[in-house]
Amino acid sequence: MLLVDLQVAGRNLTRHTLRNLLLGAALAMVTGAMVLLGALADGIEHAMFESATTLLTGHVNVGGFFKITAGSAAPLVSDWPKVLAATRAEVPEIDYVTVRGRGWSKAVSESASMDLVLGGVDMSREPGFRKVVIPIEGKLDDLMQPDTVLLFQGQAERLKVGVGDQLTISAPTERGVNNTADVRVAVVARNVGLLSTFQAFIQGDTLRRLYGLNDTTTGAIHLYLKKEGDAPRVAARLREKLAEKGWRVMEPDPQPYWMKLFQTVPSADWTGQKLDVTTWEDEMGQFKQFIFGFRALSNIVLLLVMAVVLVGILNTLAIAIRERTREIGTLRAIGMQRTKVLWLFLLETALLGLGGAAAGAALASAFAGLLNAAHILVPEGIQLFLMQEHLSFWLAPGAIAVRVAAVALLTVVASVFPALRAARLKPVTAMHHIG
Amino acid sequence: MPTRLAALLFASALAAAPAARAAAPAPAPDAATPAGLLEVIRVIDERQRNQGDWKALCYLEVKERAKTDQVSELLVFRRDQDDKQMFLFTKPKAEAGKGYLRIEKNLWMYDPATGRWERRTERERIGGSDTRRGDLDESRLAEEYDATFEGAEKLGAYDVWRISLAVKPGVDVAFPLVKLWVDRSTLNILKRQEFALSKRLMRTAYYPRWKKVFSESKKADVWYPEEMRFFDEVEKGNSTMVLIKEIDLRPLEANLFTKAWLEARSR
Repeated sequence: MLLVDLQVAGRNLTRHTLRNLLLGAALAMVTGAMVLLGALADGIEHAMFESATTLLTGHVNVGGFFKITAGSAAPLVSDWPKVLAATRAEVPEIDYVTVRGRGWSKAVSESASMDLVLGGVDMSREPGFRKVVIPIEGKLDDLMQPDTVLLFQGQAERLKVGVGDQLTISAPTERGVNNTADVRVAVVARNVGLLSTFQAFIQGDTLRRLYGLNDTTTGAIHLYLKKEGDAPRVAARLREKLAEKGWRVMEPDPQPYWMKLFQTVPSADWTGQKLDVTTWEDEMGQFKQFIFGFRALSNIVLLLVMAVVLVGILNTLAIAIRERTREIGTLRAIGMQRTKVLWLFLLETALLGLGGAAAGAALASAFAGLLNAAHILVPEGIQLFLMQEHLSFWLAPGAIAVRVAAVALLTVVASVFPALRAARLKPVTAMHHIG
Repeated sequence: MPTRLAALLFASALAAAPAARAAAPAPAPDAATPAGLLEVIRVIDERQRNQGDWKALCYLEVKERAKTDQVSELLVFRRDQDDKQMFLFTKPKAEAGKGYLRIEKNLWMYDPATGRWERRTERERIGGSDTRRGDLDESRLAEEYDATFEGAEKLGAYDVWRISLAVKPGVDVAFPLVKLWVDRSTLNILKRQEFALSKRLMRTAYYPRWKKVFSESKKADVWYPEEMRFFDEVEKGNSTMVLIKEIDLRPLEANLFTKAWLEARSR
């Protein structure tokens, strides 16, 4: 029976080819725009997650601050092996762990200088690093040698250095003593969006020496979980358990550690060590806000377009019903129930909506695939926001299917009122209609 | 601004050093002997601590690599009795009204554009900037460093002692190693070099012209450097010059070192 109904609905659609084609095309455009904007936002978020959780943060971080005086602060975790042992005992969800030094310094070359956020890395314990950081010059393994640094392409260009060149890294130790380290550029890596504008990596022991730290002091312990979605739950549990075990733990504050280092922590009235447990979303809070804003803006634009399309659907169906009034009257006169008339009209629009949306999604996916393949370079200013060097769309089949279904559903909802009007027509009145 | 601030604080710390032997001139101590060396360092500390009031009109010239040179004019107020300093920028227009107020260990910055005071924390001043923590502190060379006499030599036309200062164990200072070139006849510092923990030279300062004037607040002669030049030795090409044009050593008003006073003057 359903097959017959579908056949009838399909034939009705083909009888009014031009009108339905235009309506279908409008639906395809809206769906296509939804798919493209959604894939771009997903691409940004995916790139951000990939790069951030490798370069800057784990899924969950056990970091902290050490304050010698109330007005000073250093991003340090003292006695990290003990903290790590306690953390491992409380978090069975851990996949792997990295231990990172954290620092803030001035890098000076022969001809330029810039401020850098430093990550101290031990390359033998960084399984995820190679997935995200792609060397342009040099080898990542060279970063195992003492007094070496990894710069991203933009930083190397700004400092006018290449692999083998010397840099002076200048920073105060946690006790406020000025120190320097002469380092060799071992790797120049491809930019990975905003993070690579300020984040560089230095061999772990060199960072320790620069900041005058012992072997049991580090910047943060990055925890990578088997399921990244567990991060908020794990962070909350870890805060509680570490506090129970006697560590002083900071209240949750969704800000990157360097913002706390410069703003909130130095003005807080405490001294000594406090641990700070954060999730990757806390560390990337501002970028998440940007993505939220981008999605909100694109959704508002799409809603406006969708509203226009819905008015079009209402209008088109109203015209269709007027044109087909005599046909409806005949169908009703030979015994077709009102619900059946309603069903046929809804089925027609469902087919139209589904066809248009599917076509739009297919075209947009193909277009996004082409753009991905073309490796279009994003202008440097926009790279900061898009977190991407090349324009990249993340095409998730599930998300596309949801968007197609949403457009089809909206089309059906829009057709309910005109279809009801058609179903309510009296057979005699309808048959006498001259249209 | 941080580079200028560093230079200013340092200049302010050095300026208006009382001439220790002004009232009853005595032969300068001999830095070549251990007792004489300690005495020289104590005199330098004492001159920097000063304990007088002064107000000066200063010109500041900042050169930074790949940037346009900046010239500013400002008023500097200092009272060592209770360790207070204040800077009020008067030129150029964009900087006019900005001020710094140091009360004990806290340094506050006032921006008339926002009308807000910001406390400059140790980290803010140090992180990535040329500002040094030691620039704010009173001179405690004798307490914090072990001095070594390195020799007598000529610095231009001057006969100087070269003195090396290495930080004492367990003491935290911005620069663990400092070298001084001290004028043998006046005990004024003519050159100062500061080194990082890594022994890397970070900053060289020159004080080529000193002037002696009578301080009403101190009731004694004081020395002040008319010209100071600071050279960043890590980021070559960055330098700051401070010229003290007018100096007034009369006692300052009691309520001068307040936020309200600086705000009122900023307007």
